[in-house]
Order: sequence, then structure tokens, then C-alpha cells
Amino acid sequence: MRVLVVDPDPARAALVAEGLAGVEPLQVRHAPAFDQVEAAAFGPDVIVVASDSPDRDTIESLREATAANPRPVVMFVDRSEPGLAEAAVHAGVSAYVVDGLSAARVRSVLEVAMSRFGLMNGLRQDLEKAKADLASRKTVDRAKALLMKERGLDEDAAYKLLRKLSMDTGRPLGAVAADLLAFAGVLKGGGA
Amino acid sequence: MTRLRLGFVALNDAAALIAAGAKGFFAAEGLEVDLVREVSWATIRDKVDVGALHGAHMLAPMALAATAGAELRPLVAPMALNLNGPAVTLSSRLAGVIDPAASAQGLAALIARRRDEGASGITLAVVFPHSTHNYLLRDWLSRAGIDPDRDVRINVAPPARMTELLVSGVVEGICVTEPWGAAAVTAGAGRTAVRASQLWPRTPDKVLALAEAWAAENPEVVQALVRAILRGAAWAERNRPELAALLSEPAYVAAPAAVIAPSLEDMIFHAGEANAPDPAHAAWLLAQMVRWNHLPVGVDAAAIAARVYRPDLYRAARDSLAAG
Repeated sequence: MRVLVVDPDPARAALVAEGLAGVEPLQVRHAPAFDQVEAAAFGPDVIVVASDSPDRDTIESLREATAANPRPVVMFVDRSEPGLAEAAVHAGVSAYVVDGLSAARVRSVLEVAMSRFGLMNGLRQDLEKAKADLASRKTVDRAKALLMKERGLDEDAAYKLLRKLSMDTGRPLGAVAADLLAFAGVLKGGGA
Repeated sequence: MTRLRLGFVALNDAAALIAAGAKGFFAAEGLEVDLVREVSWATIRDKVDVGALHGAHMLAPMALAATAGAELRPLVAPMALNLNGPAVTLSSRLAGVIDPAASAQGLAALIARRRDEGASGITLAVVFPHSTHNYLLRDWLSRAGIDPDRDVRINVAPPARMTELLVSGVVEGICVTEPWGAAAVTAGAGRTAVRASQLWPRTPDKVLALAEAWAAENPEVVQALVRAILRGAAWAERNRPELAALLSEPAYVAAPAAVIAPSLEDMIFHAGEANAPDPAHAAWLLAQMVRWNHLPVGVDAAAIAARVYRPDLYRAARDSLAAG
């Protein structure tokens, strides 16, 4: 079975390919964009497309056999598996089948792709959160340093003051620290 | 606040949705709307189908096709988002044979000559099989005796990639809604051969599409949503220069305002009851779908038109705005 993964995100496509390698003997190719000539040369049985690929509508349109497109392509929608179609849309992936491949084999490919897309989304969110946490910690450190300098507080007292401000206003510590720095910048007449 | 997610594709005719957000009309109706930009129509359709989007900017024929078929949940269109906007842009070489009346007669002669010479055929691109663009292009070609299924090849490509395809010569003509026709002309890729408004005055193009079941369960939210978008459409109609600047922002259409501004010219967003989902438009689009075998056999076109196009929902919203 040959699987073409059309995904503008190379890291995610690599993750899908790695997941598929363990499933069954097959050939996987990744294309950041869909090229009909290249695709025809590879001859995929299944095309897995990311929903953020602009080429999805092109693939979707290959439903009719023509000279240039001898093997029609149809979207794989398996209604026998409740919730599968919905889960695939939410995961941001869809599968197109070339010719009559058995539903069970296509489903296994789609399921791997869905789980890998989910994994990638999770990793991306964790990374964003880690970046935000790091930025917030740096902001808090700078606000603490400002309070220590301007108010002659020790580090512990500066931190406690920030935390009190945070609790009084019901806003995150990082946001309170950012406000404090911005305010200090305004008073100084320059940028924070 | 009711929180909603609405999808759109980067095109001028998403203006009413974008303006409703940017100008605070959603908020005034108690709606908190996330506008989600998608890069393909199939994804817009699927996300509305499974409820990942509450509604979307959608090709009118796509809403009709989804409801006519058995695989997807039925949709309703409580309002149209624009009239006019699609244009056929041809490579400079092809555009040279188009006569002042903008007919495809010269193109027919060129195709016949190329065939006699054994040269390769002409490939054109539209945005989706079920689209005003596909039907418009097919109608224009047919009027000059060109068979769109035999004499040319019609591919599908995403709007934002059209310019690149025309420049590289992969296709020799495109039919897409503005600003992407204008963007291709600005890039020197070709010339506008004919505008939708020249062929079919007041061309139906995009609608607001909602899942029928969700709309039935949430009548008040639907009314608030349609009122907000109607106000967005009215604003878009009257504030063209500011609209061009708004659409040009990276989160929306992301094309230069200088390209967008002139491409808005013949587009109608609100004037003359442009937002009324006109059953005559639905019937006309369905007739095109029948003509090109795009509807399942035995479908009752009149029933589909009446089910999808809901002027009753539009009128209720319009009247409550007028009363307020």
C-alpha cells in the first residue's frame, strides 16, 4: 500500500510517516504541496491531507476519471465507525482513497494519522505554553529587580508584594509584573 | 455572551463577517465570535458539518450540494454575503484574442487552431467543482461553442495560489473571486477577460451557511448573528476605502490594500437587498448543477432550493434592525 502525505508541516508529516511505518508494510511519501504529475508517478492508494493544506480542494476535485487522472479519488468517510469522521475533522486530517481499497486498511492509516496529528498539536501547545511560562518568569524576575531597587526590598519581600498585587487584582502574576514594568517605563519617560 | 466560531476564506466577499467583527456589531448583539480563516472550501464544509464551526462564509453551490447529497448534514443560508466578484483572468497570450464584447469566440477559434496544429490543450482553473466560478466559466465557454468537458481542461486550485499558477504557465486562465483576479493582473500574469457582473448581472456567489439542525435549535442566536452580519454588510457597502484597508490586514485577506480597493468596485455587499437569499438564485445555480451533472440523479431541485435558501430568516432579521 502506498500512502502520500500532503502536509505543509514537515515535522508533522515525519511523525505520521514514522507512525505508519510500524503499522504494516507500505511505502510512504511526504509532499508539502500536491503536484498531480508527481502524485500520478508515485501512484498512491491513499492520500492523507492536512486540513491546513491549501491543496485539499484540488485533491477533492479528482473524483472523475480523466486522461490526466485515470484513477479517481474519493474522500474516505467511514460511517460504520461512529464518530470517526468527526474525530478526523477535529484532528485536522482527512484521507482520500484511490480505487477500492478495503475500508479496514484505510481506517488504520487514518487512525495513525489522526493520533499523530493529535500528538503534534499537543506538542505545539506544550511548546507555546513553555515559551509563555518562560517569558512570564523573566517578566516577574525583572519586576522583582525593579521593586528591590526602587523600594529597597529584599527578593522575598518583592516577590510577596507582586503576589499580593496579583491576588488583589485577580490577574496572573506575569500580567501584574508586565504592568509594573510598563508603568515604570512611562514614569521614566522611556520604553519599559 | 454567546460564543461562536465562524469560518472564512481569504476573499473580498468575507467583508460582511470581517466588518461585523472589527466594527463591534457581533458584540452589540451579545455575540463573541472567533473568525477562523481556512485555506480550503472542503475544510470549511467539513467543519460546519461536524459542528467544529457554527457557520461559515461558503460558496452558495457548496451549501446546495451538501444538502442535496446523502453524506452531509443539511445546511441553511439565512443570508447572501455578496453579489458579483468572480472574474475570468486569462494569460496575456489568451487575453489577446478576447473581443471588446468579452465573448469567448476568439478563444474558440484559438482552441480549434491549436487542435489542428496538434498543440497541447488549454488548462483553466476554478476554486471548487461546486462553485459559481465553475458554472460561470462553463457558461461563458459554452456560449461560444466551447465544450468545457472536452475542449479544455478545468482544474481546481485554491484562490491564493491562482496567481502563481498563471505566472508559471501551469494554467492559462483562472476564474476566482476578487482580489485574486486583480492580484494576478497586478503581478503581470494576465488580463481580466470577463467579469461575472458582465455575464450575469448581480451574480450570486457566497452565502452565510449554518447547519440546519443547529439553526433550528438556536433561532435567537441565528437572528442576532444575521443582524450583526447585515450591519457588517451595510458598513462594507458604504466604507470602501476603509474596507480595503481592513481586508488587507494579515489576519484577513492579506493582499495589498492598493490591489483590493479597485477590485471591490463592482462588488455589492448590501445595496438593493443584496443580502436576501433569493430563491431565484438558488434555482438558477441548481439548474447549472443539473446541466453539468453535479447533482445526484432524481434530486428535487425546487425542494433543495426552498430548504437551503431561507428568506424568512433574512426578513425577520432585516425587519428587526429596521424597527430598532
